Amino acid sequence: MEDCLAKKMEITVSEAEKRTGRNAMNMQETYTAYLIETRAVESQSEGQCAPVDSLWRRYSEFELLRNYLSVTYPHIVVPPLPEKRADFVWHKLSADNMDPDFVERRRIGLENFLLRVASHPVLCQDKIFYSFLTQEGGWKEMVNETGFQLKADSRLKALNATFRVKNPDKRFTELKHYSDELQSVISHLLRVRARVADRLYGVYKVHGNYGRVFSENSTQGLADDSHEEWEHVRYAASIDDILEEEEHYADQLKEYLFYAEALRAVCRKHELMQYDLEMAAQDLTSKKQQCEELATGTVRTFSLKGMTSKLFGQETPEQREAKLKVLEEQIQEGEEQLKTKNLEGRDFVKSAWADIERFKEQKNHDLKEALISYAVMQISMCKKGIQVWTNAKECFSKM
Amino acid sequence: AAGAPKPLPSSGPKSLREMPHPLATSSSEEMGPALTPSPDLLLPRSIADKDLSLPNGTPVDTSSPASSSSLLNRLQLDDELDAETRDLFVTVDDPKKHVCTMETYITYRVTTKTTRAEFDLPEYSVRRRYQDFDWLRNKLEESQPTHLIPPLPEKFVVKGVVDRFSEEFVETRRKALDKFLKRITDHPVLSFNEHFNVFLTAKDLNAYKKQGMALLSKMGESVKYVTGGYKLRSRPLEFAAIGEYLDTFSLKLGTIDRIAQRIIKEQLEYLVELREYGPVYSTWGGLEVELSEPLEGVSACIGNCCTALEELSEDMTEDFLPVLREYILYSESMKNVLKKRDQVQAEYEAKLEAVALKKEERPKVPTDVEKCQDRVECFNADLKADMERWQNNKRQDFRQLLMGMADKNIQYYEKCLTAWESVIPLLQDKPETK
Repeated sequence: MEDCLAKKMEITVSEAEKRTGRNAMNMQETYTAYLIETRAVESQSEGQCAPVDSLWRRYSEFELLRNYLSVTYPHIVVPPLPEKRADFVWHKLSADNMDPDFVERRRIGLENFLLRVASHPVLCQDKIFYSFLTQEGGWKEMVNETGFQLKADSRLKALNATFRVKNPDKRFTELKHYSDELQSVISHLLRVRARVADRLYGVYKVHGNYGRVFSENSTQGLADDSHEEWEHVRYAASIDDILEEEEHYADQLKEYLFYAEALRAVCRKHELMQYDLEMAAQDLTSKKQQCEELATGTVRTFSLKGMTSKLFGQETPEQREAKLKVLEEQIQEGEEQLKTKNLEGRDFVKSAWADIERFKEQKNHDLKEALISYAVMQISMCKKGIQVWTNAKECFSKM
Repeated sequence: AAGAPKPLPSSGPKSLREMPHPLATSSSEEMGPALTPSPDLLLPRSIADKDLSLPNGTPVDTSSPASSSSLLNRLQLDDELDAETRDLFVTVDDPKKHVCTMETYITYRVTTKTTRAEFDLPEYSVRRRYQDFDWLRNKLEESQPTHLIPPLPEKFVVKGVVDRFSEEFVETRRKALDKFLKRITDHPVLSFNEHFNVFLTAKDLNAYKKQGMALLSKMGESVKYVTGGYKLRSRPLEFAAIGEYLDTFSLKLGTIDRIAQRIIKEQLEYLVELREYGPVYSTWGGLEVELSEPLEGVSACIGNCCTALEELSEDMTEDFLPVLREYILYSESMKNVLKKRDQVQAEYEAKLEAVALKKEERPKVPTDVEKCQDRVECFNADLKADMERWQNNKRQDFRQLLMGMADKNIQYYEKCLTAWESVIPLLQDKPETK
């Protein structure tokens, strides 16, 4: 990854700001704008900092960028954006898009997205991406001028529509199946995790009540030490920090939940390509057949046109000649197209598969890291619990 | 028993510490000849010439040296008694289910080991059921109304909600019954009670019970302590303080009981979710190749945490809550004893007043008023002594209880810690030997 952009440039999404403006229908709306700061990384100079460039972008612009990348690089597993709306929340977190905590987590997610793109060997070289980071005005127009929306296959929007592919690529079928399963399992995990967090919160908060009992009139109480009270109150309060850290873990999982979608998209595109290829080949075969029939005069396949022409009179040899010529032209075109399509298909498979391998390694690495930090969090929580109860035991022993 | 023993000084206005030690040589001449420095410590019956009887006429059981002062002296001695000099040991164990045509019930083995002269044999082993314990407690309350009788675990259990024959329930009850008998054993007065003796030794307790009932029916009087309905002038400060203390204590216990129950409930709800959480990691592991092992590891780890939490909740339910409940019952019975004491005092005051109103020439204090006064003093002393003992036991019991609870929680966290620590090596990159 020597020439990836991330190495040459520091990218941060440093701030988020509430704004009001007018939308496409000239109605007033409130939205959040994010400040993207970039700075060239000077490897030689010490103490000399390059100037920071900055510009503001809103979430919809990020979406536009991602759509552009998805269409322009269909064989790449394009990094996902953070969720549009808060999902899988446990009760304390707000599901409101304007909530400062949500905005903060989104800011981090957007920064992560930019860093992912900037470290991708293919995507980081894209001019539109570079402009997104550096060109304040006119970027939207630039993107639209690429005409990528025309390239976008509307069929892809129908997520679950099946295309009957006669010779599916087994690897892609398996991969698609995997991405479906991954999405399902991570969703389930996130849902249950949110419930677990909720319940754990409940347990800790009830312990806080102990503190109050001990603090009242300790001379008549069961424990005379007010330390006991503080321990329990602290224990109860510590849950807030613990659960905040766990949110970070949840965010890491969410990224891969959305990554699974991106993976699935690549499979779908391949499926469509394959389908188009098969359709084109089929079309070519039938045209060739027609050609043959016309030339030899034999009707091998039943066609209504053939029947009607038999019933209502034969064609003149000139008419037949003309038809043949058209067909032959079409066949030639078709063959060329098929060749191109085949080549394209093979290229797609090759580059897609390379990126998929890259993605797999990244995924394994990232998830291992996420699980390690989750385990470390749990370990620290256990240690705190041991400490609190050991102190409590000390207090009790002095009774 | 010896001849006419001289009465020991009344505990009346003197403080505990001023009481002469029965074994003190300086006043040995005043002591009854029945005193011998033997391990049995047969104390003379004091105030024997004044018959102690309940206001309703039922004679108080004086077969044991149930007197205020002797008790106080005994209390002092108690502090010096350690495990080696104890002469009575009682245990409750070995619960067994009995299925009869009419009913099914549980009996417990009650084992006694003793060197006391009141017992014919050094060892006894009998089987008793809850009814028998209940009978014993009632007998003790009747015969020793001035003392605090330890509580029994709850008599009634809601059918269908609690399984009376489940291992957990039986074990919890057994522990409580064992504690009940041990508290009586430790009590310098109650442990010498005749009914207690019979309870520990009789092969056929039911025959004895019937005997007791026959006697009472002869007397034709209800055994229950009848409250005379007298109004109390002023409660001595110390008893007022005890009363207030008990009220606060009961309230606090109630609060702690509620909080503990709430914690257990929340823990169990947490456990439910955790039980669903672990297996999802395992499912995920099934999808992966390189991450398969670590994900399985996380799943197993969470499973271990579930087990640890289950054990913690069980301990809270089986060990912590019953003791709290026991002390709540104890407080209730103590408040009743305080009420009785108030009654006795009120009666005395009323009688005193009646005498004063008569305005006799010779202010001779009638004997029944004197009896009342003795009753009051006796009650006060017994109660004071029992309260002190109770306070000490309570402190010890709660110290043990709370430390036990802390221990269980520490163990829980240690188990979870071990589980999570075992996950880390699965996630670290193995050395490049591939």
